[in-house]
Amino acid sequence: MTAIGFAWRSLVRQPARAALGILGVAAVGALLFDMLLLSRGLIVSMQDLLDRGGWDVRVSAGELPSSGLRIPNAIDTADAISRLPSVQAALVVRTASVQIDRASGQPIRASFQGVATRSTDPAGSRLRAPWTILRGRDAEGPNEVVIDEKLASESRLEPGGTITMRASCVADLEALPAIRLTVVGVAEFPFQSTNESTTGGTFDALQAACGGNVGSEADLMLVTSKGDADGTAAAIRALRPEIRAATNTEVVGRLQQTGFTYFRQISSVLTTVTVSFAVLLITVLLTVSVNQRLGEIAALRALGFSRMRVVKDVLSESALIVGIGGLLSLPLGLLLASGLDRILKGMPGIPVALHFFVFERQTLAVHVALLVATAIIAALYPMRIVSTLPIAATLRDEVIG
Amino acid sequence: MRPRPLVRLLVVLGVWLVPALVSAQDTNPPDVLVSRQLAESEGLTVGSVVRLSTDAAGTHAREFRIAGIYEPTPDPSRLGQVPRSVRLHLPDLLEMTRPVDVPAGAEYVSSVNVALVDPKDADQFAGDVNARLPGVLALPSGQAAGSAGPFRVLERFHLAIAVVTIIAATVFLLALTIMLVDERRETVGVLRLIGLPVRRILAQILLEGLLVAGVGAVFGLILAVLSEQLINHFFQWRYDTALVFVRITKDVALTCVSIAVPLGASATVVASWALLRRGGLRLARR
Repeated sequence: MTAIGFAWRSLVRQPARAALGILGVAAVGALLFDMLLLSRGLIVSMQDLLDRGGWDVRVSAGELPSSGLRIPNAIDTADAISRLPSVQAALVVRTASVQIDRASGQPIRASFQGVATRSTDPAGSRLRAPWTILRGRDAEGPNEVVIDEKLASESRLEPGGTITMRASCVADLEALPAIRLTVVGVAEFPFQSTNESTTGGTFDALQAACGGNVGSEADLMLVTSKGDADGTAAAIRALRPEIRAATNTEVVGRLQQTGFTYFRQISSVLTTVTVSFAVLLITVLLTVSVNQRLGEIAALRALGFSRMRVVKDVLSESALIVGIGGLLSLPLGLLLASGLDRILKGMPGIPVALHFFVFERQTLAVHVALLVATAIIAALYPMRIVSTLPIAATLRDEVIG
Repeated sequence: MRPRPLVRLLVVLGVWLVPALVSAQDTNPPDVLVSRQLAESEGLTVGSVVRLSTDAAGTHAREFRIAGIYEPTPDPSRLGQVPRSVRLHLPDLLEMTRPVDVPAGAEYVSSVNVALVDPKDADQFAGDVNARLPGVLALPSGQAAGSAGPFRVLERFHLAIAVVTIIAATVFLLALTIMLVDERRETVGVLRLIGLPVRRILAQILLEGLLVAGVGAVFGLILAVLSEQLINHFFQWRYDTALVFVRITKDVALTCVSIAVPLGASATVVASWALLRRGGLRLARR
């Protein structure tokens, strides 16, 4: 009988303790798997979110696009950027706070993204705004807007309807006259957070909503290169040294150093704690189990089982407990991750499409590697016990005891 | 609450610090405070004269004298951002940031903090301001502290992780107690044979369980207190902040003990129960 077969029989002989050991490993393994998913989840998700729109360089006034600073002379700057040989198109994005009146109930607070494309390239001029149309069509005229699903359901609006909005374009507490706009589509805004509503339209529509009180500043500029994002970002920085241009990868890198670092740190701490916890408990389980079977093991040695063979039996038992528990930990971990993701997405300002826990093959590989290491390390002490077991003395103690 | 000598306006990124120090001039430049982090990174000291401008090009820069270096109030919502900030008197800031077409006194400020004689009047006062000053939003401080939101979410997240950890620990604990109780099968059998009733043995096991769980809980608390310092030092160093990340309060310690001790004792009793239902002879049999 192989060592694995023998270890399996040892486990089956005491089903309660084996089942509890496996369940314990499954629970700890699920937590470990989740912490590994969390360690890179935000980075992967954010990179995916940034790449999804097709804009590979982001231009802003601050270190990060969400810094709150505005790019001065944005339209002129976008014109200059779009004339760079490596640029396909540049999109100016200006955001304003708006209140949308309803027939009954409190007005809805939302943000209005006004966009303007600048391109000397025929392909670039056809590039769309940074949202995805779900129903209807994109806003093109100065009196047209697209709205998100949340706003559509709260206001019972569909393409063809009209909304009345009051914008605050320079200061949050401005009270501008109301303007009526036609809803031409329902769109998905990738960076929209769970607790806000968003509308979008052309820069002219924003100008109209703001009563012309927009100025020439923009919150963000999105640029599509002709393939060389790094070169394009460098060219923009050389063209306008006072503004920041970063590729999507660079933006993610900066976020990694600031906003996302907490989750990486907490995931590292919890991964270490979880693995240590698992090693300690499996070591204790195996050690107690081996200590209870010392007579049996000594008898097997006396019958001809080699030292290596009994060591392999203990290692196999550890591998079986950790292996089965580890397998169970995967679905459990995914289930737990979806619950934890829902909790964390309750944070204000987190985009709906952003996920904290993202599955990657390399995460699975690290999880498996950590579990294998756990099984081996946890088995070291009990393996030492069985390998140094004095056969005759143990058998005599068993008989006398 | 007394009004502060310096208006608490945080100038973040809007005002660029021109790093070149300039020599003190005949006229006394106005005072500013700089954050410890900014002072450390730029080598600024109290008494130095610096030039501040509203743009990176340094146009219309003005001289200021550093009157002090302050430790910024830890702000959880700015975790990861090193607070390189300067505090100016409000008139100095408005002088620098006022657009050319805006007359003095008509500038925009983002918020005004009001200290009431009786803090209990906050709701009433906010309501009165909102009714009398259209376009101004007044909120009691408790409602205005929106930045606490992310940390309430983190609290729920950590609670969820704690629940999973407790479940895992309980399962392991049950497995361990089953093994430990099984190891004492013969002793329990002998006790039954010499006439000790099941209830008496169970009480003894429960007491043992309570003792072991109590010692374990105390050991866990000591470990937590030691790791509290370690974790706080690490994260405070990592983020250059005075924020406290882990705090073992009396409530937290009591909650841990009130979960750990009954859990440990219950696991011992549950694991023993199956054993005690067997007859003494069967238990004592080798």
